[in-house]
Amino acid sequence: MSELNYVGKSVKRKDGPDKVTGKAVYTQDVRLPNTLIGRILRSPHPHARILRIDTSRARALPGVKAVITVEDTKGIKHGFVETPRYPPDQEVLARGKVVHVGEEIAALAAVDQITAQKALGLIDIEWEILPAVFEPEDAMRPGAPEIHPNHPKAPREFANIGGTTETQWGDIEKGFAESDYVREDRFECQLRTHGYLEPHVTLAHWESDKLNVWTSSMGVFVKRAKLAKVLDLPYSSVRIHKTYVGGTFGGKIDLYSHEYCASRLSMITGRPVQITASREEIFSAYRHAQPLILEIKTGVKKDGTLVAQRIRAINNAGAFRGSGVVVIFLAWGFTMIPYRIPNLKYEGFSVYTNHTVRAPQRGHGAPKVRFAIESQMDMIAEALGIDPITIRMRNAREPGEQLPNGDNTHRGGLAACVALAAEKSDFLAKVGRDRASPPKGTLRRGIGIGASAYMGGTLIYPNGSAVIVKMNDDGSAIVLTGAIDIGQGSETVISQIVAEELSIGMDDVKIISSDTDTTPQDIGAWISGMTYVTGNAARQAAGRAREKLLQVASEKMGAEVENLVLKDKMVYHRLNPELKMSYREVIAASVATHRGDTIIGEGFWRTMRDEPTHPSLATTKGRWTENYAFSAQVAEVEVDIETGEARLVKALTVHDCGFPINPQLVKGQVDGQISMALGHAFMEEVLTKDGYTLNPNWLDYRMPTIHNMAISEDADVITEQYRVGQPYRTKEVGEGLISGILAAMGNAVYDATGVRLYSTPFSAEKILAGLRALEYAAKKVRSASKAPA
Amino acid sequence: MILFDFDYERADTLEQAVALLARLQGDARALAGGTDLLPGMRMENIRPGLLVSLSGIEPEAPQVLADGSIRIDALTRLATLENSELVRRVVPMLAQSAHVVGGNQIRQMGTLGGNLCQEVRCLHLDQKHDYQFVAPCYKRGGTCCYPFPRNAPEVCWSVYMSDIAPALIALNAQVEILGETGTRRIDVEALFTGNGLKPLALSQAELLRAVLIPAAAPGFTWGFHKSTVRGGLEFGMAVLAVALQLAEDGRTCTDARIVVGAVREGPVRPVAAERSLIGKTLDEERMEQAAADTSRVVNPLPHHGFSKRHLMDNIRVHLRRTLARALQRARDQEAGR
Ligand SMILES: Cc1cc2nc3c(=O)[nH]c(=O)nc-3n(C[C@@H](O)[C@@H](O)[C@H](O)COP(=O)(O)OP(=O)(O)OC[C@H]3O[C@@H](n4cnc5c(N)ncnc54)[C@H](O)[C@@H]3O)c2cc1C
Ligand code: SF4
Repeated sequence: MSELNYVGKSVKRKDGPDKVTGKAVYTQDVRLPNTLIGRILRSPHPHARILRIDTSRARALPGVKAVITVEDTKGIKHGFVETPRYPPDQEVLARGKVVHVGEEIAALAAVDQITAQKALGLIDIEWEILPAVFEPEDAMRPGAPEIHPNHPKAPREFANIGGTTETQWGDIEKGFAESDYVREDRFECQLRTHGYLEPHVTLAHWESDKLNVWTSSMGVFVKRAKLAKVLDLPYSSVRIHKTYVGGTFGGKIDLYSHEYCASRLSMITGRPVQITASREEIFSAYRHAQPLILEIKTGVKKDGTLVAQRIRAINNAGAFRGSGVVVIFLAWGFTMIPYRIPNLKYEGFSVYTNHTVRAPQRGHGAPKVRFAIESQMDMIAEALGIDPITIRMRNAREPGEQLPNGDNTHRGGLAACVALAAEKSDFLAKVGRDRASPPKGTLRRGIGIGASAYMGGTLIYPNGSAVIVKMNDDGSAIVLTGAIDIGQGSETVISQIVAEELSIGMDDVKIISSDTDTTPQDIGAWISGMTYVTGNAARQAAGRAREKLLQVASEKMGAEVENLVLKDKMVYHRLNPELKMSYREVIAASVATHRGDTIIGEGFWRTMRDEPTHPSLATTKGRWTENYAFSAQVAEVEVDIETGEARLVKALTVHDCGFPINPQLVKGQVDGQISMALGHAFMEEVLTKDGYTLNPNWLDYRMPTIHNMAISEDADVITEQYRVGQPYRTKEVGEGLISGILAAMGNAVYDATGVRLYSTPFSAEKILAGLRALEYAAKKVRSASKAPA
Repeated sequence: MILFDFDYERADTLEQAVALLARLQGDARALAGGTDLLPGMRMENIRPGLLVSLSGIEPEAPQVLADGSIRIDALTRLATLENSELVRRVVPMLAQSAHVVGGNQIRQMGTLGGNLCQEVRCLHLDQKHDYQFVAPCYKRGGTCCYPFPRNAPEVCWSVYMSDIAPALIALNAQVEILGETGTRRIDVEALFTGNGLKPLALSQAELLRAVLIPAAAPGFTWGFHKSTVRGGLEFGMAVLAVALQLAEDGRTCTDARIVVGAVREGPVRPVAAERSLIGKTLDEERMEQAAADTSRVVNPLPHHGFSKRHLMDNIRVHLRRTLARALQRARDQEAGR
């Protein structure tokens, strides 16, 4: 096969120039005449019954054009998950009671912000305050305030269970009995948020029979499906338009109330309605990630071989089901992928509490699960007197292994990543160094490793992507794709593939994207599958156009297709380069001799073409994907043992993304995840008290700045390749790399100080407390040994 | 976005601004860089009927007076302070304290006077009250305190977080205040009441005109530290400013001023700890003791998610280091001479 010209190259981003020059149009930039401002009235209580709502004073205020409550809706529910076991559970506006602070109760549209604000203050509500509960283990206890009834299939002894996941294989008790060493630990994580810089914003405009919507999202087809459903409109009456998106990280997937409200208010008033969430609303009323409690019992042989593992995951899922039941399902997966565990029992509980609803956040549970498992892995290794690399190599999955769910690791595998990470970081030479011989001063260095794996492109609505490539008669191409570029670079990657398949320039490819009316259906940018699924669809579409070009050229040139080569918008005869045609000529010939065929190629793709549907959230039965990405990450941290202040100094990421279609974009993903992980490790926490958010702003919720970024090195373990005209297999690289490094940082803090941290963030306060406890223990040992016999 | 109506006037001189403020009594506010006032208005913690903008008044450049003291116009932007060659040379601690404020955009807009007169902070205060913490707390004229529910109505345990005030107090600076009846001059230290409900000892129609910092005598040295979580673009969890006067031996302390900011309703001076250093040789042990005493007597308020114990730990270690750095600075200067 000849050299690749675009795929595998760090070509410039398609969206780069528009973004850096400020030309890119985001939702907030879209202007329509006569637009009304929408605002939402939110609950001031974590749990309360609404006895009466009176909107008459708000309606009467001059400048207010419409006010809606749940009575103005069709009462159709929606949910992140909508299955027979987990039917939709959430109304677009509160009915009868509120279950979290900030829950949407009413919405209104007014001529300007000040009027809208005044009108909100004129809505009267009579409340009956209900007891509320915020910690999942409190909420699970029988007799706890009931937020929603227990799920009918949940164990009777609990309360407020939104859903459960249970699975097991082997014989767990036998496994523990056969183990040489067993330990049990409990890990917890703080509440974190996505930190997308563009707020949630929606502009809706109803035109006699069509609802036009511009909204900041991660997938326009999911939005259309959910919005059309709650509005009771056919899909053909709802059009989600393309806009640039300023970050999402999982926080813009599901339907949000403001999207419904803007739409409904526009339908009532006949005018465009825009609703922009303030940053405070995003922090205190919108969705955050899911704090998990993980209890892990693990049994191993003397040499570190895993024999049995029992995991109990409890998710503080907030006030509706949200993606809470997905996280407890995924937590199982993040447990079973990287290492071989012959006997396993897993149970996960998604528990309602009076917190805001939860959403996926980059990694969707994996960082928390891997933090727990990889921390415990190091504890086990230490107890057994083996090093962190050996214990991981001993258990790491190899290529071609069958996973418990029937999937296969194919050419991927963790072992190669761990080995390379250890070598590149000089891990074994560094580990334990500062504790063995503490350097002068108060700074201690530590090194730690963490491993992870992530799946790509799992089936979930709309399950597949299609792409259309239209040749222009000058030989350039227009690509129609539903893929949404949320900053990850999908338009660039798709262009590279199309340019490669068609042998045209990057500038010859123009993308029309993420518009539900003009582009074909797409899976969306939220299940780590776009490069693989939509990319293969694009490859196929461009490939079909190429085949047509070759066919017409072969007829015209009187040559076999096998003897034709494509280069720079020209078709050449392989043996006689004098014999050639430009694409322009070929396309003209196609129109002339093929009944007007202007050359259009179609492609479509999905993961696991033989699997009808996604696996069961409750039992985990069913296959996931053919694409698992494995990774091992090493962190080097520095801790001041006098102040407890710690920072990530250097990160090494060794990952298997199949092969990088655009290495620079892969590097961007790696670095972005390192930065997010160090925020998780050392800085970020949404502080809440009784369901109220204490730090709903960028000053008091500390995300890392560029100055906090550590040195980030990475290495690809290339397991796949790209060939023109052939399907390819790329793997996840956009969200799985927070996990290993987070765990690695925890392990590195331990390596530096001897302080084992069981919860994130690794605050100075916790590290100091740990150091004090160590000092105290050491003193006790000293005084005991001094005591007279 | 500020969601209420207010009037706006631009003053050409500070005198004019004072006159405008006096005329409207409690309902008018001076607007300098607006980096503190406008967020406060957006959150509707304050709802002035009139803003008197000072942005039309050109600040005088920092200047050294005949007695060697330096005079800095209150309208000077923080970016000017941190970058001014004169300020960096004559009062480096001031430049340093201005440099650590917020981020560059804040320093480009924020002024010295506005920094000193910034509002106290509390997580329960610094947000809109549309649906969270709706009932006004004491600070907002209401009848409760969220973090300290047992506090009496006259007690608000919010924290005053200016980075520059501790430095100025350590430097023994004064402020010149312009009122309706003329100017008065007080120590910067006297500007703070220690009362979270009314943290500044200024009347409604008074404005800061300038800050005056006395000339440094030979043997002067300083140390400054702002404790943070991410190292910038954030308010301090504790701010430490130290000014020492050393005898000729370079080790005996003849005067000491220690100021701790961001942990109480105003900057705090641990006078006993200062005294414990005076006339003494500054060795590790003595500095350690002074730092430990300080962290105790300052009695930090738990704020912004930091516990009292952790703040005490932080102050203890960082104050000792700041004192040591001040000493080291003096030695380096001596060596460089
Ligand atoms: C994101 C952000 C980060 C920040 N970080 C920090 C930080 O790290 N450290 C820190 O110290 N501050 C910080 N601040 C506060 C910042 O507002 C001040 O540092 C700034 O210097 C205020 O100056 P200003 O001119 O903008 O004040 P303004 O907002 O204009 O005024 C503030 C108050 O002072 C009054 N005032 C203004 N000038 C005078 C005067 N001459 N005489 C009397 N009263 C006057 C006003 O009426 C108002 O009440 C931060 C602010 C933001 C928004
Ligand atoms: S400490 Fe002060 S500002 Fe904070 S809630 Fe109490 S009274 Fe209000």
